[in-house]
Amino acid sequence: MSAKIQRLAEVDRIIHEPARLMVVALLAAVKEADFRYLHQSTGLTKGNLSVHLCKLEEAGYIVIEKTFRGKYPLTICRLTERGRGALDNYRKIIKGAL
Amino acid sequence: MQNASSLTGSSDPKAVARQLMQKAYNRDGLPEIAVGLIFLFASGLIYAPDVLPRGSMGFKLAVLAFAFLLPFLIFISPWALQWVRRRYFMERVGYVQHKPIGWRWVGFGIALGALLALALFGVLPRLPRLNRWLLAGTGLLGGALIAWCGRLPRFVIEGIVMAATGVFLAVAGVSLEIGFAILLGFQGLVTLVSGSVVFLRFIRQPTETGE
Repeated sequence: MSAKIQRLAEVDRIIHEPARLMVVALLAAVKEADFRYLHQSTGLTKGNLSVHLCKLEEAGYIVIEKTFRGKYPLTICRLTERGRGALDNYRKIIKGAL
Repeated sequence: MQNASSLTGSSDPKAVARQLMQKAYNRDGLPEIAVGLIFLFASGLIYAPDVLPRGSMGFKLAVLAFAFLLPFLIFISPWALQWVRRRYFMERVGYVQHKPIGWRWVGFGIALGALLALALFGVLPRLPRLNRWLLAGTGLLGGALIAWCGRLPRFVIEGIVMAATGVFLAVAGVSLEIGFAILLGFQGLVTLVSGSVVFLRFIRQPTETGE
């Protein structure tokens, strides 16, 4: 039992932050989503969301693609395999400890 | 930050993501408007054979529309909704590409529904006052589905309305066709009004620009 709780120390701090966990969880549930969808779904401010997306991109958990749909600019985010693996690992650690 | 605070270590990220997506999906009221219109259409198609002369062109069209057009509309409604959102409201709702439908689960659901229907056909004819059971059962089951699928307060209220209407119609002893027409028509109206109110409030919000 104590070994499972001690594993909490190994939890990925990039994903463990609540706002980033929300973003990663949302992106895991869809194929891709743009900045506006994430902004409205999470309730984070634009600046806050931008910072968290940058951190996730630096960690290699998401890829960000800037494109257009007609004349409408889109910033599309997708979860990478590494990000998916990190989220699965995070869930296992948390579930095992609680 | 209300949404983030619900994500504690004891919450499953998948469950939280589902909640957030559910709220996002129903934010503009368009799904409710679509469901309301389909219910009203179904209500009209159920009522039409009751008032139209048997064998008339209108009678035949109503039966065919109920058998083929209505299921087709129900089937394509998610894609139609997605098209409308991307065509007219992308600046407001953003862009999302959901994962493909799990057709295995759809098949499983259809098979389960068919088995349930077969089981009910074995039980229902033995019940006295079958009409009342069907109306009440449809109201209660439909109401429970609406409340469970929507998972927002207004959907719970709509579910309660549908359940109460079904039970009321069953107690009133109306015929099956009239009962279903009233049940679906009334529920369609309630859902359409609710969805329209949400949509108007959504449209009146100022559009945010920039990212």
